[in-house]
Amino acid sequence: MFKDTFDKLCWLFLIVVLISTVVLIYTNIGTGSEKRAAGPSKTLERELSYRARVDLINQLYLPVENLRKEGNNQTALLKLDELIRKYPTEAHGHILQGDILQRMGAFDEAISSYVEGVKLNGDYVDTKSPLSRRAEIQKLVDGGLKDVGPRVAANPNNRSLVIARQKLNYLKSRLAGGCE
Amino acid sequence: MIRNREFWLVVLSGLSLGVLGVLLSLWGNPENSGICVSCFIENSAGALGLHDNQRMQYLRPELIGFVLGSVVSALISRDFRSRGGSAPLSRLFLGIFMIFGCAVFIGCPIKLLLRLTAGDITAVAGVVGLVVGVWVGLKGLAHGVEFAPQSQSKASGGILIPGMFILLLVFFIVRPGFLLFSSQGGGAQYAPWQVALFVGIGLGALAQRSRFCITGSIRNFLLMGLRTPALWGLLTFIVAALMVNLITGKFNFGLYGQPGAHLEYIWSFLGMGLVGWISVLIGGCPFRQLIKAGEGDVDAGLVVIGMFIGGALSQSWGIAATASGVSMYGKITILAGFALITVLSMFCRVRST
Repeated sequence: MFKDTFDKLCWLFLIVVLISTVVLIYTNIGTGSEKRAAGPSKTLERELSYRARVDLINQLYLPVENLRKEGNNQTALLKLDELIRKYPTEAHGHILQGDILQRMGAFDEAISSYVEGVKLNGDYVDTKSPLSRRAEIQKLVDGGLKDVGPRVAANPNNRSLVIARQKLNYLKSRLAGGCE
Repeated sequence: MIRNREFWLVVLSGLSLGVLGVLLSLWGNPENSGICVSCFIENSAGALGLHDNQRMQYLRPELIGFVLGSVVSALISRDFRSRGGSAPLSRLFLGIFMIFGCAVFIGCPIKLLLRLTAGDITAVAGVVGLVVGVWVGLKGLAHGVEFAPQSQSKASGGILIPGMFILLLVFFIVRPGFLLFSSQGGGAQYAPWQVALFVGIGLGALAQRSRFCITGSIRNFLLMGLRTPALWGLLTFIVAALMVNLITGKFNFGLYGQPGAHLEYIWSFLGMGLVGWISVLIGGCPFRQLIKAGEGDVDAGLVVIGMFIGGALSQSWGIAATASGVSMYGKITILAGFALITVLSMFCRVRST
């Protein structure tokens, strides 16, 4: 690969290009030009928009949270219904709905709401997420499986019980982690 | 056989993959995904901005390690040879569909065994599918289905994939602004990068020396029975992973509530069946393709590129299955994959007249 003039010219050109690259990187380090060219870090940008989203969600659902704290669960559910129709792809409404229904003792409906929420946004079962409801969902699943299992065994033809168990298993699978 | 050096190399590879596959999960990787080439490729494609699933973006050092370990080992043992030219475009497309098959099952053949040895019996459908897929591929080979032989070229294209992975390592260390990293989900779960890279390099070097491959082991077993060393490597992998899972308390026997698993057995079977069939035709599972690409195999390099495209598309187009099941797109993709490999088999078949 170093026989004729063309080979030598290729090597020379390669060396020039490599040296130029090194010089370019070296002279620009610390000047901030590489940062200006690339724009702000995408990770940082995304983190900022995520935080903004969390703040917006908290703000949007604040009236529901207040109603729930006042013990006005029925009105809170009506307000949530309105918000879920307004933002159909937003998971937070379903999660709050699940929480309220669970407190009201509507166990099967609570499971369905949590499943809807987790399917839309897996952050609710993450430990690291500021939106995390992992502890509540874990408690629901642990208690639910103990309760639903014997009920399904006693009534194997009861379709709604079988579906409730499937949904609990889905939540259990999401809580178990994995790569998805 | 036990006096054979190849036998012990294969056993050592199986042992290392089994033990480290479970330990990487303990050290931070997602559950049952200590080593999963398809998941790693989906994560890495996301980190490079090739898909927008914010929960699956992390440039996996293990993946870089596999290729670089293979390069180092191939250079030391003078196995590095630039070679290629065997149905490159077909291999690129098969690489894409191989990852689609893995995405529908949720895991590559290595993760299939890691899931199984962690007690996830939903993986049984995948095991059966993989064996049937390899068997169908072998039947094809027996009837003349094979790509044109490779030719050895002067060292040109063979250095490109190793070069690409060196660049990815530089990106990982320098962390330019365009690289994406998940803050939630599976992409945010990872072992310390130095450990992951070191493990990857070690496993890559071992796999290069031993030629260990999950689908290759099944293929050799179907061809030669118990006489093949590869089978013992596979069995060692299974026993080692099972033992480590039991010792570390990671073993959770059952059908329900398993991490990264769904209950659509037919599609698990078909997904892994597609992977098995493709693997026989292109000469190895996703892991083996990475190792071969590190040895200068340009055809395997194209499969690797295809796998990155497949990893990106499986997330962007909603092909990848989740715990809730397999999407319609995922099911259609699997059927399209079977159609593709059937057509390719018919066209590349050498018929004896």
